Amino acid sequence: MLHIKCPYCGMRSQNEFSYGGDATVKRPELNKEVSDQDWDNFVYNRKSPRGKHWELWQHISGCRQWIKVERDTATHEIFNTLKANEEIL
Amino acid sequence: MSLISALANVHTTGQYGDHEDKNENNLLKISEVKNLLIVQIVQYKNSSVSVKSIDIDGLKLKDEPLRVISNNETRILWNGPKNWFLVSTKKDLLKDIIQNFSETDFAVTELSHSRAVIQIEGPEVKEVLKKGCPFNFNSLEKNNSINSTYNGIAFMVDMLNDSPDKVKVRLFALRSFGESLYHSVTDASLEFGYKSI
Repeated sequence: MLHIKCPYCGMRSQNEFSYGGDATVKRPELNKEVSDQDWDNFVYNRKSPRGKHWELWQHISGCRQWIKVERDTATHEIFNTLKANEEIL
Repeated sequence: MSLISALANVHTTGQYGDHEDKNENNLLKISEVKNLLIVQIVQYKNSSVSVKSIDIDGLKLKDEPLRVISNNETRILWNGPKNWFLVSTKKDLLKDIIQNFSETDFAVTELSHSRAVIQIEGPEVKEVLKKGCPFNFNSLEKNNSINSTYNGIAFMVDMLNDSPDKVKVRLFALRSFGESLYHSVTDASLEFGYKSI
């Protein structure tokens, strides 16, 4: 079973979390012209990397907070977790 | 209007499971807790009010994970950042709560009738919880609370007492999931024998 360290609650089972997608996607700046390609990239297009990857997860059955998780997509090893408002270094 | 408790259709008194030839004091005791005041208090993200200055029934809110602040009548459970779950036998406390928390900074929601509350007491309580919940209950101490799932049902555990021979917990689930949680918990308790009170 996968365990994720919630920055608020501590170590918890993956059962309590819900996957929320790529955490590195940034919304195009507001009030600026956005090309169709940039908008498509933001809304639809995702990479599927093998290896370390920052993801969004929600602690849906716990504190209900969104968090960022650095996970290896090949081994499922989890290296780091951050609060949603903390920047990835 | 008469009130029907969340578990009225499933909770019947008696002894069940492997209870024969066992000392009644060592059996698990399962009961439904009724007539509690349950209130959710959420501080808005843009609020800068310090919760340390707010007093409810002599208790001060603390934004610390797992922490339960309590007196004999009232318990305030940490439910998430800036989010608390107040449980009290004092039904008239609601007026104080509404007066103490300004509408511009806090969302106060009365949940008394939207939760099913099961209380379990006995030496095997942690074993029963471990059967359906992935949390490590060996690390849960007195006056701690957690949110988790029990056989897929979202629930909250409030540890009232953690002394090994007299572990006592309260489980809160959404009222509509109460009967399912009750069946899950009592099914897991059959192995140890339990007394429904």
